[in-house]
Amino acid sequence: MKNFISNLGYFLKEARTIFRIDFLSNVFSIFSIGLVFFILSMVISGWWISKEVVEVLQKEAEINIYFEENLEDLRIYNLMENIKNIKGVREAKLVDREESYRRMEEILDKEARILELFDENPFQPFIEVKIDIEQVDEILEDIKSLEDIDYIRDNKDIIDKLQKIITVLTIVGLLIITATGISTLVVISHIIRQGIYNNRDQINTLKLLGAPDSFIGFPFLLEGLFLTLVGGILAFGLIFFTFKLGYEQIGTALLFVPLPNMEVLVKTIGSFILILSGILGIIGSFFGLSSAKGN
Amino acid sequence: MIEAKGVYLVYGNGTEALKDVNLKIEKGDIVYITGPSGSGKTSLLKLFMGIEYPTKGELKVLDLPIIKEEENNIRKLRRLIGPVFQEFKLIKGRTALENVMLGLRFLNLPHRKIKEESIMALEKVGLGHKRDSLVEHLSFGETQRVAIARAVVRKPAIILADEPTGNLDIDNALNIMNLLTSFRDEDTAVIITTHATHLLEDRVEGKFIKVNNGVIAVESRGEA
Repeated sequence: MKNFISNLGYFLKEARTIFRIDFLSNVFSIFSIGLVFFILSMVISGWWISKEVVEVLQKEAEINIYFEENLEDLRIYNLMENIKNIKGVREAKLVDREESYRRMEEILDKEARILELFDENPFQPFIEVKIDIEQVDEILEDIKSLEDIDYIRDNKDIIDKLQKIITVLTIVGLLIITATGISTLVVISHIIRQGIYNNRDQINTLKLLGAPDSFIGFPFLLEGLFLTLVGGILAFGLIFFTFKLGYEQIGTALLFVPLPNMEVLVKTIGSFILILSGILGIIGSFFGLSSAKGN
Repeated sequence: MIEAKGVYLVYGNGTEALKDVNLKIEKGDIVYITGPSGSGKTSLLKLFMGIEYPTKGELKVLDLPIIKEEENNIRKLRRLIGPVFQEFKLIKGRTALENVMLGLRFLNLPHRKIKEESIMALEKVGLGHKRDSLVEHLSFGETQRVAIARAVVRKPAIILADEPTGNLDIDNALNIMNLLTSFRDEDTAVIITTHATHLLEDRVEGKFIKVNNGVIAVESRGEA
């Protein structure tokens, strides 16, 4: 350890020299690694945003229960109490005709004038039931068995589709993370091998002088770490600008999409990429060194 | 210090480089290994450094057996030897001082000590003023002196110099020869290979090993 610390300056200088010897190739490698990490970040971000959207939608998951016309208030009250007692129901609220009309006005916004064409309020009262989406099938079964129910409107199809999308995104995300990890490892270990080949005379001399493998290999490990970390920082910069631009564009165009906080997203993804780049840099360098050892 | 008993070295292509080598080199010896090109001089040095292993026979250098299975010991052995290679093997893009310091870097010494010892070694070979010059900017003779400084800086038990006078005129060759032998002391043996036998005519002490077709003959002169 003492020997390592006293040679730290030498190791850093050697790593810099190794980098300079194959400068252009190393610069291109940094860009490649940066882009690989950028793609990875975008996939993770896409996965995260979709997951968040689905979670928000899940929380908002509701079914609307329309009851028989002219049902007495007491029976409506009893019906609501029965619904509230069903397992998985979080909230049940009566939405009367006026409230339905007002909500439609809000949805239609400038087009709400169309409602003025009706002589009477065309909307019916209903019971709005917030539910735990995972128990939707059981809840629907229980509700159907109740009396006085005319019609049930659920959004299960949409939620199911979103859940399928998130499953596919998770699988694709994991595949891309794996592919990116392997690509980075291959690129790094290849660069290290190239560096070892370019410095073979020097390595041979060090061996003849009795230098241990750790002493010979450490500058190459530093070089690999440097390449991936700079690649990671490059990806971080790209993520920041892409998100800034993306949030400005998407945020205003798709107001109804509940996007996660940009600052949190960038910080989390950026930290993840930087940590990952360090880990992959060290692993890739070890691969490169051990695969070149026999030669 | 070095003991060879019935050592043979046969290369992979079947070339018999050394045959039945028996010799003993003690602390403080000066040893000159002579012979024409391809006679086996360098092969002998390669055995001493653990670059090659005996095909047959027994070889011990500094009490360490030279066998393939002892790779870690070979590394340790190399740290106790100061080699001057025929082609110098200095690291380009680094200064004379950095190259000399390389000989000490992995010997668990503090940085300041490494630097001080390296500067002293460069001064001993007359290159103190060129310590910050890149090795590729030095003349042939200066480069050779840097290589010698790198070998002696670690105060090795054995200095091994392979054809150090190779491309030098007679005056410079004698200077290098004298410089190398000046590092011999009671704990340090100096082993030099050369094909220029005329450089040894006036040497009055040392062991003279003639190598011819892989066969060696040892002659001792003087007290050493």
